[in-house]
Amino acid sequence: MRTDPTDNGGLFVGRRPGTAPVRFRTLPKRGSELRQRMDGSLATVLLVTMTVLCLLCWGPIPLACLWLGSEIQYITGSVTLGITAAFALLFALLFGVLVLLRRLDSMWVLVRRAAGHDQRTGALGRIFAITAAVCALAFAAWFLVIHGPGNLNNRGS
Amino acid sequence: MGLLDYYRQFEGMSEEEVNAELRERAAERKRNALAKVQTLDLSHTTWPELPHPRVVGAITYVARRGLYRYPHLGGSELRDALAERHGVPAKRLILGNGAAELLSAATRALIEPGQRLLTPWPSYPLYPLMARRAHGRPERVSGGVDELLMSTREGDVRVIALASPNDPTGELLATAELRRLLEGLPPGVAVLLDEALVDFADAQPIDSSLALLEEFPTLLVFRSFSKAWGLAGLRIGYAIGGPGSEELLAELDPDLGVSEVSQAGALEAIRSTSELIQARTRAVCERRVELTDALRNRDFEVADSQANFLWLSYPEISGAELAARLGIRGIVVAAGDALGEPGHVRITLPVVGAVGRVVDALREAVEED
Repeated sequence: MRTDPTDNGGLFVGRRPGTAPVRFRTLPKRGSELRQRMDGSLATVLLVTMTVLCLLCWGPIPLACLWLGSEIQYITGSVTLGITAAFALLFALLFGVLVLLRRLDSMWVLVRRAAGHDQRTGALGRIFAITAAVCALAFAAWFLVIHGPGNLNNRGS
Repeated sequence: MGLLDYYRQFEGMSEEEVNAELRERAAERKRNALAKVQTLDLSHTTWPELPHPRVVGAITYVARRGLYRYPHLGGSELRDALAERHGVPAKRLILGNGAAELLSAATRALIEPGQRLLTPWPSYPLYPLMARRAHGRPERVSGGVDELLMSTREGDVRVIALASPNDPTGELLATAELRRLLEGLPPGVAVLLDEALVDFADAQPIDSSLALLEEFPTLLVFRSFSKAWGLAGLRIGYAIGGPGSEELLAELDPDLGVSEVSQAGALEAIRSTSELIQARTRAVCERRVELTDALRNRDFEVADSQANFLWLSYPEISGAELAARLGIRGIVVAAGDALGEPGHVRITLPVVGAVGRVVDALREAVEED
C-alpha cells in the first residue's frame, strides 16, 4: 500500500500536466504589430459579447420565453400550450446561446493567441460562473430590498 | 491567406493528434529495434553463456576470504574431486593454468632441441608453436593414424600432439585408433592427447581414452574447463598420466600452483553444474546433427564433427571469401587459412533458434555468385 503522497508513480516527473507548450501543426505566422493590437481589441469585443450573452441567459431570455408563453395562452386560451411553448423556446434559446458561446470562446482563444498571448484555455467557464453570481445577487437585491417578499399582512387572506 | 485561415493557424493540435504522432514515433522506434539484427559470433570454440551463479558465488567466497595468500601447492579438493570423477589416483593428475599451458610444459619437458613433434594437420595451431618454443621441430602430417605411424619411422620423433575432437575439424580419434597408434609407436615417443573438447562428443564414452593410460605410460591426456564448462576466463585445466608418469607430471606442475579462485570455480562447477553441462552437450549434439544434415543437403562438404563446431567448405569458394560473405550477413566465423586449410571455415554451433539463420546465411552466401 502506498503511504507516501509524493510517490506519484513518476507521473509528474519533469512537467506537471497541462503546462506543456501549445503544439501547432505548423508554426503560425503572426501578423504585424497593428494587427496584433487590433486582435487584442477584437478579443475584448468577443469577451464582452460572451459576457452579454451569458447575462441574457440568466434573465432576459427566460423572461422573454415566459412573455411569449403568456401571449400564446392569451391567443389560444390553453395554459398547457402556453407553458409547453414557453419551455420549448426556453430550452432552444438557452442551448442555442450556449453553442454560440462555446464557438465564441474558441474564437476568443485563437484571437488572443493571434494578439500575442499564450492563451491555452477559454474564459467561458469563468464568465458563466461570474455572471450567474452577479445575476443571483441582483435578483436577491431586487427581491429582498426593492420589491420585497410580499405584504406579510395579507398572509392567509 | 484568408481571414479565417489566419486565425485557424493558431489552433493547437488536439491531444489525440499529439498522441497519434507520439504513438507513431514509438512504433517507428520499435520497428527499428526489431529490424536490427545482432551479429552472431560463431568464431570461438568456448561456451558463450554466463557462468552458473553458484560458480560465481564460490569464486566470490574465495576472493572475499583473502587473496593475499599463495595457493596451496599440495593436494587440493579439486584434484581429489577430478581424480574420483575419472577413477584415477590423485597423484597421477595435476592441475594447470589451462590445458594449453600444461601441453606446452609437457613439450618442453619431453623434447630435446632438434627433436620432432608430429601433429595431424589441420589441427590446433598451438602445437607447432609449442614445439618451436621447446627448440624442437614441428611437423604437420596430413592424414590419419597410418600417416603418423609412417612419419615416426625416422628416429628423431619425440612427441605426437593430438586433439580429440580435433580443432578445427571436430573429428574424434576413436579409442581403437588411438590404441593402434600407441601400439605402433616406437619406444620413447610420447603422445599428448588434448581432449579439451571431449565433453561435446557422443560417439564414445567421454573417458574411454583414459582406460588406455594403464596400458600405455607414454600417453598423457589433457582436459580443460574452458570449452563445455564455459570457464575459459579462469584458465584451468588438468593432465592425467598413466602408471609411472608421476615424475613427468611433477615437472609440468605450475611452480606457484593454480589460482585458488580458479580452483574454487572449477570445483563448484563439478559439484553443481555437471547435469547442466550434460544437458548442454546433449543439445549441442542434436544441433550438430541438424546443422550437418542441412548443410550437406545444400552441397556443403562438412567433416564428421564431434565438437561444438563444424568444419566445412563449398566448392570453388575459399574459406576467407565464405567468411567474408557471412560477415556481411552478420555472422562471424573463423576462416580456414589461419587454421591450416584455406578452403574451409569453422562455424561454432549456434544457440537454439539460430540454426535456421545460419543455414539461410550460408545458402545466400554461396548463391551470391
